[in-house]
Amino acid sequence: MRPLNFIALLLFLAGTVWVFTLSEGTVRSIQKTYYSAISPIVSKGGAFEAKANDFVEEVEHSQDLARQLEQAHREGDRFKIIASRVRELEVENNELLHALKFQKQTEFNVIAARVVRNKPLNWGSTIEIDRGAANDHIGLRQCVLASNGGLVGAVNQPGDEVSSILLITDEASQVSARIEGTSENGILVGQRTNYGSTPRLKLLYLSKSAILQKGMKVYSDGRGKSFPADIPIGTIEDFIQGPNYGEAEVIPAVDFNNLKTVFVITGPPGD
Amino acid sequence: MFLYHLSLIGLLLLCCVVQQFLPPLGAYDARILLLPLVVACGAVTVPTGGMLLLAFLGGFLWDAQQIIYPTRAAEAHSTIHSEIYHTPTETMKFGYSILLYVLMGFLMQGIQPLFKQGKWYLSGIITGVAIFLYLFIEFLLFSFIRGGFEINIPVMKQVSLTALLSMLASPLIFWALFQLAQICKHEISYDSLRRRTY
Repeated sequence: MRPLNFIALLLFLAGTVWVFTLSEGTVRSIQKTYYSAISPIVSKGGAFEAKANDFVEEVEHSQDLARQLEQAHREGDRFKIIASRVRELEVENNELLHALKFQKQTEFNVIAARVVRNKPLNWGSTIEIDRGAANDHIGLRQCVLASNGGLVGAVNQPGDEVSSILLITDEASQVSARIEGTSENGILVGQRTNYGSTPRLKLLYLSKSAILQKGMKVYSDGRGKSFPADIPIGTIEDFIQGPNYGEAEVIPAVDFNNLKTVFVITGPPGD
Repeated sequence: MFLYHLSLIGLLLLCCVVQQFLPPLGAYDARILLLPLVVACGAVTVPTGGMLLLAFLGGFLWDAQQIIYPTRAAEAHSTIHSEIYHTPTETMKFGYSILLYVLMGFLMQGIQPLFKQGKWYLSGIITGVAIFLYLFIEFLLFSFIRGGFEINIPVMKQVSLTALLSMLASPLIFWALFQLAQICKHEISYDSLRRRTY
């Protein structure tokens, strides 16, 4: 081996040992620096991407409208009936939205955030939102909800302008949860790989004699103070009896494939 | 040569930013892994020392972006929390990507003679193989530390498609490297071959 290569190898080994001995706190501060450095670019890029998507959607929407108009000309009266029904639904939808907004304001103090990146990691399930510690006081462990009130995850890496959210579908995520109508409590975890349509969650450490039915609702129970209590998580799909514990498969309440806006609960979780 | 190495680091940082905007494609979350690709392609154009530097920086940046530490350590002081969440999910140690990148780098250096002969396209194919191995080993490591060994068809499809997409993007990276070498007046050479010729 050439002397120069030998020195390079020694330096490399020393550097690697140094990196492996970094404490979790140091790693978090390295990651925070990294996120702070890239967050302006990600934020601007995300905004640009959103504009581009809006434009594409608008074009598609325009094409749809043209098609609908053409169809409407042909169908005449039928369209009028459909339009009046749509108007009714729109009014109803607006009323529900107002009610939901009111409910949110009374229950939690929340900040709305736009999802700027979906699944940026190879194996993990995370999203990034356009809110950060600098202006919006986004902090570690803050709970994140979807617009339907379902649990999305928790802030795992707050940056200055962009923050990373660890989704409940990630294998590293753990949520203490209860099953409605029973005395069953367990720990809800995600799965390593979630492909395609609906990701599945696992509710572990249930009693093996638990009597569960498909469709039962699962809520956070607030134990451990990581997440506030009574946030909808999903519904039971299946139950498996193990030698010591029971394990349930849960379908999440949130559509993780179409997350565009989320709500971060500001203030300490569990309160 | 120093200038070329510096420009490689610049390219690495640039790819780090561009990587942020490369979304997963298709049903299996396959994507172009630009940062590992630059390390793999760059490794074949530099001597061992340069490759080690590239692998170290690449792995460090990659882990800064990819490692997920669940918030358990911040909550360890809470007795109630540790009673409820008694078996936290294990996570990878920060820096593991450096070791995987260096393995990838050594694999790429093994085909330097072919690269030197101008057969860069073979290096491009090996880039795909290197990224496939990197992802596969990474997945095995996750399975090892977290338990639940599950290799199924969707996982293999994700790994293979990501490797394939990255391999298809490798000519672009090689082109960028040749351009950089030209600008920096660096001759992409293989030292041990040169020594053998003497």
